[in-house]
Amino acid sequence: MRLSTTARMAALAIVLTLIAGLVPVAFLWRATHDDAIEVLRRDTGEQADALAATWRRSGLPALRDAVEQVRSSDDPAVVAAIVDRRGVRVAGAGPDRLTTPPAPGFRIERLAEGGSWGEREAGVEMRRVGDRWLVNGRLLDDWEAAQRTIERALALSALVSLALGIAGGLALTRYVTRRVDAVATTADAVAAGNLARRVATDGGDDAFDRLGLRVNAMLDRIERLMAELRLMTDSLAHDLRSPIARLRARAEAALAASDHAQREAALGGLITETDVVTRMLTVLLEISRSEASERSGFTLADPAEVMAAVADLYEPLLDEGGTSLVTAFAAAPPLLLHRELLSQAVTNLIDNALRHAGEGRTVTLRVLSDATAVRMQVEDRGPGIAPEDRDAARRRFGRLDPARSRPGAGLGLALVEAVARLHGGTLDLSDNAPGLIATIVLPRG
Amino acid sequence: MSQKILIVEDDAASAAYLAKGLGEAGHVIEVAVDGRDGLFLASEGSFDLMIVDRMLPGLDGLAMIGALRAAGIVTPAIVLSALGTVDDRVGGLKAGADDYLAKPFAFSELSARVDALLRRTDLRASTKQDNVLAVGDLEIDLLSRRVTRGGRAVALGAREFTILEYLARHAGQVVTRTMMLERIWNYHFDPGSNVVDVHIARLRRKIEEGASPILHTVRGAGYMLSAAG
Repeated sequence: MRLSTTARMAALAIVLTLIAGLVPVAFLWRATHDDAIEVLRRDTGEQADALAATWRRSGLPALRDAVEQVRSSDDPAVVAAIVDRRGVRVAGAGPDRLTTPPAPGFRIERLAEGGSWGEREAGVEMRRVGDRWLVNGRLLDDWEAAQRTIERALALSALVSLALGIAGGLALTRYVTRRVDAVATTADAVAAGNLARRVATDGGDDAFDRLGLRVNAMLDRIERLMAELRLMTDSLAHDLRSPIARLRARAEAALAASDHAQREAALGGLITETDVVTRMLTVLLEISRSEASERSGFTLADPAEVMAAVADLYEPLLDEGGTSLVTAFAAAPPLLLHRELLSQAVTNLIDNALRHAGEGRTVTLRVLSDATAVRMQVEDRGPGIAPEDRDAARRRFGRLDPARSRPGAGLGLALVEAVARLHGGTLDLSDNAPGLIATIVLPRG
Repeated sequence: MSQKILIVEDDAASAAYLAKGLGEAGHVIEVAVDGRDGLFLASEGSFDLMIVDRMLPGLDGLAMIGALRAAGIVTPAIVLSALGTVDDRVGGLKAGADDYLAKPFAFSELSARVDALLRRTDLRASTKQDNVLAVGDLEIDLLSRRVTRGGRAVALGAREFTILEYLARHAGQVVTRTMMLERIWNYHFDPGSNVVDVHIARLRRKIEEGASPILHTVRGAGYMLSAAG
């Protein structure tokens, strides 16, 4: 059977208290104990044997003579008496009446209530002789009496140790259980939905307090994450409202359309709008996934190659639009990076550049590398972003064009920034005089 | 020859929509409503293709495909999923799916991918790899990487050659923009701009110069390389 932790703790406390109490007792006992009592017992036994032998050989009168002879000797401590069944002395040396009725065997006790026989304890052997009792032995001397006292004290102290051990063990267990329960009830309350509940700590830097502080720190983080999550879902719901409203408007237009061509056009618009919403959702999920900063899907790759592949994809598009594409890639040692997310970030920057730089201008893709970081830059010659607007530009759905005359969901830079952060880096926006330099800074190591 | 397609989808409306569309395209359709049923049906190995929803009651779609692959059944599988981020897509492909399509999708996109996968199994079954791909009077020599149209050499850049090769391998089939992005550029995101269209326009100018149209735009779906009109 396996004991519960609480029971084992209590048992351990009891055992430890017992050991602590009994070890000094044992030492004291060893130090003071000698054979005095044992010698008394042996001597008394031998004397009793001799007297009993006298009784068997020569009968009660001979025994009576023998004990009377002891009485007449000048040692007042010697007990040698014949008593009746009730302990009343019939002959010999000893108290007139024993305090307890005689019973066979050796014992140490006070023989009488008072008088010289009652002053101290006596070690006596009692034997049955016919219908009488033979009581022989002697009063304890000082040393023997002291030893008896010590032994009694030792026994008492062992008992007290045991009682203290049990009480201490139970008290300790109760204390620990109470402190642990305080944490457990807090955890229960939090699990039940009360996120604000915390473990009470008394500031006394003990293990329980530290446990409480840790648990509280964890709960703080959980509460903060929950709040962020709620904020995100709220803003997501809010942000999806307008495209869904547009979807609805298109659907209504399709319903209201009188002729076939109009309906076709409205339904086509409906599908386009659906694609926009889908794309937005994907990007939003991509952003929040990146912000959750699980670094899965990272591979060792050269940032310049990532940039070159995107340049390859966009070159015809830029060419077609009359934008000249300039590439300047410094050779960089490979980095751990998420190839696809980084590519997507760069395409977002290029799309932004195309949208804002105007036609017939230059877009430059540049990769710079030094000992501390790799910088992936997309530079345009458009109007740029004023320094005071740069924070707004990074925000989700942050669009600087209040009239929203150009298409775009306003998620582009937010995704780029999330991707940069996923790589432990940043998105820098700076002035290209004129134009904008958007830089994804990827730190090394 | 009609081909058997297994649809494993717990949403009855989606399953019916897919079954109707693919049935009209001439395929024989069977529908399973959860992963266990799907696993049971697919383990016969008699299907040419499975279309599997990722989130299924009972047995997850990817787990189902994993179990089939472990049992040595290589029936190609397209996974449909509401999880559409880049990591989800790449993870799905790594888990044994042959293609991965995020919901919602255009039916034409699914249809093109179904055709591409069915064709792939066809090829594996019948012919050996050829050094020369021919579509009408267009010939593509894969070894020397030279392209001729009606015997006349067409000069193509490296990227254009790759695109043409991909289109030629799926000659007569619709190839969508996202299929090209995934297979040619290995991007599983949508760049948003019409980057692929511009690549195609360039390629088309070169291979159709002074010759009949061969690279067709399929409205609302993608492109098709085909000698016949």
